[in-house]
Amino acid sequence: MSISNTPTAQGSAPRPHRARARARAAKFSFVAVASAAALVLSGCSTGGSSADASDSDQSTLRFGISNEPADLITGVDQGTVGNTMMSLIHRGLMSYDSSGAVEPALAESIDLVDSTTYNFSLHPDLTFQDGSALTADNVKNSLEYYADPANGSTLNVGLKDISSVDVTDDVSGVIHLSGPNSALLEYLAIPTAAIVPDAALSPDVANSIGAGPFSLEEHTDGVNLLLAKFDGFYDASDVDLDEIDVSFYSDGTARTNALLGGDVDIIDYVPWPDYDRVSNTDGFTLDAQTGPLQFVQFNVTDGPFADAKVREAVAYAINRENSIIAAFQGHGEPLTGVYIPEDNAAYNPDMTDLFGYDVDKAKDLLAEAGYPDGFEATLLTTSQYAFLQDTALSVQADLQAIGITVNLDAPDWATRVAQGNAGEYDIAIAGGAGIVTDPTYIKGLVSGPNSFLRSFGYDNADLNAALEEGLRATDDTEKLEAYAQALTIMQADVPYAPINTREQAFAFNDSVAGFKNLPGFLSFYSGYSFAATSISN
Amino acid sequence: MTSFILRRFGLGALLTFLVLTLIFLALRLVPGDPVEMLLSSGNASASPEAIERMRSQLGLTGSLPAQYWNFLTGVLTGDLGNSIRTGDAVTQSIAQRLPRTLELVVFATIVSIGVGIPIGAWAGAKGRFVDTSVTVLTSIGLALPVYVVGTVLIAVFSLTFNIFPAGGFTSWSQDPARHVQMLVLPSLALSLGFTAIIAQMTRSAVLEMKGQDWVRTAKAFGHSPLTVFRRHVLRNSLTPVTTVIGLGFGTLLGSTVLIERVFNYPGMSSLLVDSVSNRDYAVVQGLVITIAMIFILINILVDIVYGILDPRVRQ
Repeated sequence: MSISNTPTAQGSAPRPHRARARARAAKFSFVAVASAAALVLSGCSTGGSSADASDSDQSTLRFGISNEPADLITGVDQGTVGNTMMSLIHRGLMSYDSSGAVEPALAESIDLVDSTTYNFSLHPDLTFQDGSALTADNVKNSLEYYADPANGSTLNVGLKDISSVDVTDDVSGVIHLSGPNSALLEYLAIPTAAIVPDAALSPDVANSIGAGPFSLEEHTDGVNLLLAKFDGFYDASDVDLDEIDVSFYSDGTARTNALLGGDVDIIDYVPWPDYDRVSNTDGFTLDAQTGPLQFVQFNVTDGPFADAKVREAVAYAINRENSIIAAFQGHGEPLTGVYIPEDNAAYNPDMTDLFGYDVDKAKDLLAEAGYPDGFEATLLTTSQYAFLQDTALSVQADLQAIGITVNLDAPDWATRVAQGNAGEYDIAIAGGAGIVTDPTYIKGLVSGPNSFLRSFGYDNADLNAALEEGLRATDDTEKLEAYAQALTIMQADVPYAPINTREQAFAFNDSVAGFKNLPGFLSFYSGYSFAATSISN
Repeated sequence: MTSFILRRFGLGALLTFLVLTLIFLALRLVPGDPVEMLLSSGNASASPEAIERMRSQLGLTGSLPAQYWNFLTGVLTGDLGNSIRTGDAVTQSIAQRLPRTLELVVFATIVSIGVGIPIGAWAGAKGRFVDTSVTVLTSIGLALPVYVVGTVLIAVFSLTFNIFPAGGFTSWSQDPARHVQMLVLPSLALSLGFTAIIAQMTRSAVLEMKGQDWVRTAKAFGHSPLTVFRRHVLRNSLTPVTTVIGLGFGTLLGSTVLIERVFNYPGMSSLLVDSVSNRDYAVVQGLVITIAMIFILINILVDIVYGILDPRVRQ
């Protein structure tokens, strides 16, 4: 495309000049009209404020969240923001307090009758945010929905033992289990285990009406969500905030800037490189908790990683300190075993260190497996999340040191998930957390249908049996022994190679009080804490 | 002239058809599944059966030709489908996001024109030190990545002096003052490179025009230097500049990704990036078609203007 700008006439005000002037005027007019139209259109579009709720007399918390939530799907774990939204809008029978302990929520009490029977009593006069009554029938329908594998709930892994729920009256009932389940109350406390209206018991219906402390009032596409205090919440008298303005900041640096610049009061998922910037700024608090795991997955269907000795070699080859520095600027802890909280009956101080950092031992194990000169392999990670890519780079160098030449495969996250589900890798870097802190979470990392969340093709019947025994244990000694057996198997068979735990942090300014980042894996459920949060003007 | 315009629109329609076919195929050829992304974002995975059932509910299980046919007939009837993640109609999302991005681009263009033409003309007219300075500055303006400019603007005007918000969006209807306040920094950051291009184009055009015969003639008629410059140098110089502005406006529409990310501005580009990440097919298709049609329309308008200015182009 070209245009001749050679004048065809000379002298003052020649005709082509006027033609060009008209054309220019037309173009400037276009810009002016477009400008006005854009303003008008923008003005017409449904509004929303990302950060301007402070002019209200109400007690409004401005919360910068790490992503725009998708429509909530009943019973499905939809990640960090999904859990946060669930914990704000919904409640289940149980919840977590600020120390991470399970506490009754919609249930006024829940009592263990025998190892497979629980009696529950609801708070009186509960309602959903649409004004309809919340009764024991809703509890029955919600829990039986989660327990039925046909409904596709990700809670099924923990609630499938619910064989039935009997309704005694409007406010009480009995939960029957098919077998003992020592983690049942923890599963009932997960934000997705909410008691919802019957109409929401379908994957096709947005799960936006709950019985939690805040109701969804408005959603502006790409900008924010406005939540208002729900006066029908069972503990409404203790909820201080009138409103929460949840603005979406998918970029970590923009999120930190919004906090430090005063646009929001609190942010989640503080990027690790920004920890020092926040904690070194007066007037701001960084609330970090160590929890989620980083680990190496293996495709065990064929090739060298089908051999447990090779997997063990990898576990000994990883320089975990390096990895934490490279990916998390030091904000993590080396993980040489399987994370089990110290207050859990399964915690065994003698079994926390299953794999050290020992390059010579790793080389010996490789030689024993028949690979004295190493081999070549593909390491799957993703370019979309820097911490996963940086972890991969660190592991790549570690494996090179024992003779395994690693080629990185770093597609975007959607491709990483698809390749993980299809087993299109030799080894992969993964991050994750248990959906409960009870060690039964380990099942999600080592057993079940193939998934990007676990090593492809891995299945160990003995390990599955030991973990099942641990879940079914009815006393502490039995539980400790079962998990000791499971860890012994994991040490020898290496279903995944642990690297480190990482910190997860919220940050807030000094006007925010009462908020607490929950410990360990529960950091993702810290939305519960907003019910106890207040803000000063 | 009519047949010329009709030919241009016919070509535009063909291009649009090619773009929507390409984007439909490209999205389905790359790995990644929208339902996996929707159901697998947490720490517990959905069962393969649940994934398959939702895929079926969303109409993603039909054959590729059948999906393509549904897509084409939908586009022709103005139905771009619904977002897999939010369930919202794609047309509704575009209606919300497009004005925001257009507003950003229009303001950046106005700033670029308002600054670029005067300093380019000044450099061309004055020469020497001014010319050298403007050339250096515009080269820096072109070389600086927008995310660096954006980050610096935030560091200075938001975090240090607290004059402007660090990012975000408030609608005009809700708070006009804050709406404009939130537009300032992203518009400035976006306009820097475009300002440099316009300034450089204006400068070189002015330098070329200054040596033309009719300028000398105008001087010989005794017109004042300012009149000669304004009527005979600058006016003629603006023809190629307006061309650059027209085409640059279209380019800016597709260049707001980084600015929207840095300033957390909820425009069309950020929605496009997020939708590609989530493999939200319908939203990506709808946005790409919209951007392509705007681009094609601008090109057609420029072609028509050329045709008016220079009849030889119509042949």
